[in-house]
Amino acid sequence: MIVLMLPLVALLIIGCFGILNSKSIINSLFSLDVIDTATISIFVLIAGYSGYQTPIVSDFPRYSNYSDPYPQAIILTAIVIGFATQALLCSIALRLSRSAPLLRYKDLEK
Amino acid sequence: MIDSPLVFALLTFLPATLGFLGCVYHRTFFPICLAFLGSVSAFSIAGLINSWEAAYTLMWLGGIEFSFDQYTYQLLFGSSFSIFSSLLLFRKYLSHYFYQISLILMSALIVSFSAVDLVSIYIALELTGFCAFLLIADRNDNKSLFNSFQYLIGGGLAMLIYLIGVVTAFQYSGSFLIKDLSAVTPIALCLIVAGLLTKAGIFICGLWVPNIYSHASPQSSSILAGCVTCAGIAPIARMSNDLVPIANSMVVIGVISAVIAALYAVFERDDGRALGWSSVSQLGLAILSPTYACVYAMQHGICKTLLFSTLSPENTPHQKANHETEYTLQEKKETLSNFQNYSALIVFVVASLSVMAFPFTSGFVTKNLLKGDIPTNAKIIVSTSTLLTTTVYVRLIWSRVQKFLIYDKIINTEEIQKSTKFRWYSNQFYLCLCSIAIIVLGLSDWSYMSYQNIVNSLTATVLGIILYSSVVGLQTSKMVKPVSRTLDLVGAPFVVAALLLANLLYFKI
Repeated sequence: MIVLMLPLVALLIIGCFGILNSKSIINSLFSLDVIDTATISIFVLIAGYSGYQTPIVSDFPRYSNYSDPYPQAIILTAIVIGFATQALLCSIALRLSRSAPLLRYKDLEK
Repeated sequence: MIDSPLVFALLTFLPATLGFLGCVYHRTFFPICLAFLGSVSAFSIAGLINSWEAAYTLMWLGGIEFSFDQYTYQLLFGSSFSIFSSLLLFRKYLSHYFYQISLILMSALIVSFSAVDLVSIYIALELTGFCAFLLIADRNDNKSLFNSFQYLIGGGLAMLIYLIGVVTAFQYSGSFLIKDLSAVTPIALCLIVAGLLTKAGIFICGLWVPNIYSHASPQSSSILAGCVTCAGIAPIARMSNDLVPIANSMVVIGVISAVIAALYAVFERDDGRALGWSSVSQLGLAILSPTYACVYAMQHGICKTLLFSTLSPENTPHQKANHETEYTLQEKKETLSNFQNYSALIVFVVASLSVMAFPFTSGFVTKNLLKGDIPTNAKIIVSTSTLLTTTVYVRLIWSRVQKFLIYDKIINTEEIQKSTKFRWYSNQFYLCLCSIAIIVLGLSDWSYMSYQNIVNSLTATVLGIILYSSVVGLQTSKMVKPVSRTLDLVGAPFVVAALLLANLLYFKI
């Protein structure tokens, strides 16, 4: 489990490093998306730890090892919310680009 | 007692429905929305007086659990009152979608106050964040748009940190309920709390608060100060009540927030920013006590709504919504009257005194409730913070009185032709009623009106005046610079999560 988790933690750290060192809005948006992807992947990994087969209810046992459907259902909401956040941030970036076309923080924070 | 799940489900989701319907028929639904918010306030007062407690499961068995208890009713009253007041007082200046967003925000707030599982809280906080983002961006100038961007990216990152904490907690407890958090690792707790503290606007995660309050329009600021920050307070109070390590860590963070933010507020010369720093300080005080956190946050939110609503006697042109034509200065002066000028000043002073915890105001009662429930060592810090807060509000009252005198002079000059037409001063009467309510609430509980408490409060006020007169001449612009860098705002939750982890694993304060 820990070995499987390591690439995702690395992805999370890359995203955090990116967001803390970004010089423009676009870089921040990409970095936030990377963190978002890492978070979703961690959820999927934890859900799939108990098994990788589709959890379908039936009268007779179809599979022996089901994946946990609970975190998978939860993460759907987080995916939608992440998409909405990105869409709103992109719309603001579009609006701000009228006054600062390069969208650099040093121009916008004046 | 009302314990029908249908009533609670309606209470939770009716505001959002009204908000969406209001997008289509905004004129028809505006009075309905005001009536609904008024009835929610009345319902929550009834819940508070009768100590109603009810839990219900949405969609019955296996659904989402909600709990309507004393935490919920206190914050529900504060939020419905704040939104009602802002919509009523600024009804002439609202952009066409403002009240729809406010109502969707109300639904999100009710969910965050009553939810007992971490995922529902996550969804409610994200929805609150989106609504707050739209309210900040309502002014539609570059500065407010950039501030709203900073708020959304900071809030989004904080919620992702929270989500990682939630999934780590799920690994250990197999559940998303707050009551099952006792079995989880300190790392998960730290990540969850860091996310919540960012949404609650507590130092150092709350660096966004002063920027937002000073650049948003007054109607947005009054809603943001009145209820948006409370969305994070309710889950923190619930967690602190169930988990002793979290309650202990909250004392450390609360104390740091109360003193440092109050110091920033003392040296801040912009009124909006000073009120923002004062909010950070007051919310830091609120999290010190899990039992009285919500009542303190409610009282503070109501006072902040009134303060932002009366920061200026009349709405100045830049505060109007972008889609409307702007007033000229002469037109604005003509619309003012002595009654408006006096009532705004009185309400501002009463609300300021309440935040200062002056005797015979509601703030005095809540501050004493809080003091009775915190560790002895923390009481010294609370007294220091009260002194600094008093200094801030002495300056704000003085600044407001000067503004009042300028407007008074303008109104009384003979050059301005006053209208002889009869006018309903509904806003002013409402504001006066609010200030009377603050005083009446202060008189409702005589058990705290001891000689010792009154003398302590009056001494803090006198010391605050002396402290203000000693720092009034300082050139503070070089000492305290606004924290506006995106990196500082975004990085704060990481720092707080690391500090919390250090406290839970090594310091164990």
